[in-house]
Amino acid sequence: MIKKYTAVLKINWIHALEYRANALVGVVAILSGLFIEYQIWNLIFLSQGVESIKGFSFQELMIFIFLSIMVGQLKSSWHTSGEMIEGIRTGDINKYLIRPISYFNYHFMMFIGVNSLYYTVYSLLLLVTIIVFPGLLFPSIINIIGFILALSISVFLSYSIYYIMICCAFWFGEVRAIIVAYNLSMIILSGQYIPIRLFPDNVLDIIKLTPLLYLVDFPVSIATGRMPIEDWGFNFIVSIGWCIIMWFIGSLVYNRGIRNYEAYGS
Amino acid sequence: MYIKISNLSKSFKMFKRSAGLKGALSSFFNRKYSHFFALKNIDLELKSGEILGILGENGAGKTTLIKLIVGLLHPTNGNVNVDGYNPWKRNHEYLRKVSVVMGQKNQLWWDIPASESFLLNKHIYQIEDSEFESTMNELVDLLDVRDKLDVQVRRLSLGERMKMEIIAALLHKPALILLDEPTLGLDVISQSKIRDFVRYYNKEYNATFIITSHYTKDIQEMCERVLVLHKGSQIYDGKFSDLIKSINPRRRLFFEFNEGFDESLLEELKAVYNFNVSNNILTAELSENDLKALLIKLLDKFSPNSMSFEDLPVEETMRSFFINPDQYLK
Repeated sequence: MIKKYTAVLKINWIHALEYRANALVGVVAILSGLFIEYQIWNLIFLSQGVESIKGFSFQELMIFIFLSIMVGQLKSSWHTSGEMIEGIRTGDINKYLIRPISYFNYHFMMFIGVNSLYYTVYSLLLLVTIIVFPGLLFPSIINIIGFILALSISVFLSYSIYYIMICCAFWFGEVRAIIVAYNLSMIILSGQYIPIRLFPDNVLDIIKLTPLLYLVDFPVSIATGRMPIEDWGFNFIVSIGWCIIMWFIGSLVYNRGIRNYEAYGS
Repeated sequence: MYIKISNLSKSFKMFKRSAGLKGALSSFFNRKYSHFFALKNIDLELKSGEILGILGENGAGKTTLIKLIVGLLHPTNGNVNVDGYNPWKRNHEYLRKVSVVMGQKNQLWWDIPASESFLLNKHIYQIEDSEFESTMNELVDLLDVRDKLDVQVRRLSLGERMKMEIIAALLHKPALILLDEPTLGLDVISQSKIRDFVRYYNKEYNATFIITSHYTKDIQEMCERVLVLHKGSQIYDGKFSDLIKSINPRRRLFFEFNEGFDESLLEELKAVYNFNVSNNILTAELSENDLKALLIKLLDKFSPNSMSFEDLPVEETMRSFFINPDQYLK
């Protein structure tokens, strides 16, 4: 049973390897984002004449942002969501529906597989960061394990949220505008470019009531040791709860939508 | 695989708008929907191992019927029962027994070799290693594409790609195979290869085939039985040869005379039968009985150099049928 989904992962990996330039794009995306952030925060620290902001030294903040951009890239889905929406719109989804495979699981594996090059490149970048800035990332082996688990939850949760929006295409045909709007707002609200810990308290309180907290901040806080280990359990339970809720809503929307589907084209 | 379709109908909701910016704006605020029936009250029973051809003009409902049988669409009314399965529940057990090839849609991974897609299907359909190897080798040799296995799909010709699509669809040895326009856009040799293959596969594995095609020759060569759809309704279900006979019961006779034959002896026959004589060859297009009667009389008066019979081209016959099907089926 699991073998068929690992096969989907593998074929997407093979597919991703056909386009080696994408690996370079991933590195450029991270480094250019980090460069802009460096300039902005450097200016803020210098102009304010402060050593730290809300508990972050300049170096700690840069490492936090660096990892946030990386996690943000891994949870975003331009390719998979675009292909899924196009599939529903044009009838290409038929090729998945006629096979004994779950549409949700198949595309989740695709979602991971498409990003496989990024996983490889980002792992190398992380390794270099750990060597160059010892002590700022992964204070202990537990943090590495915690980070991998929280990152897995973040990727699944993010995909589940995309899935709900994608399934709306069964009714509206074209929902890419919704995905674009979501992606743009998520860059800010999930903390991909500015740590949500720096947000005003009332905004942060609202974000804590949503799954957004678990998309970027949760894994990055574990990796940087900012979240005390005694808080992990509660946050893992809540994040898994969000995964179940989003998966359940996605299944409902899909099951309703597929009845509406008209298998366009041939 | 046994198939029973009863009273099957499918309607689609469509919206219409007039052309231009005004039409687009008006439709944006006040969209008008209408329903149209793509299929109406279809009844059909199919036994295991049968090859059924579905004929019809564009928009007759052929592809809609295929999609309903495989479970891509939910019927508006009626039932489809395939070996006890309700297709639109998309039970994985059921999907492991069927396969669909849609001539206009690519099911293979475009940027990587077809062999990778075959491996993926191996896992999706949970095919044993040894079975996968033997089936793939058999299909690859039958369709003569061994040297193309490791070529990116996007670099294959249309015919090669269709053959790869068919291999991918048959690796799990489905009992029911639905081919929607399998020879569309293919050259004559590829078309013939696919027809031969369908006949072989049907005989060898007792697989049930449902085939739609715009090429009447496809249907003539592969399917003994046809279902004819016209504007969503079923207007004929039976032997293809019977349909052709009922539309155009005439055949063609070629009778070649010896050099220096006496053409005046034909005068009497010309008054009764319609035929032409040119370059010592008599050509007549008549019903089976008239043709027999004419031939007896000809043989009585002449000794032929050669003679032959020919069925009229089915494409022409079907074309005239679809112009006004009611005329032939009353």
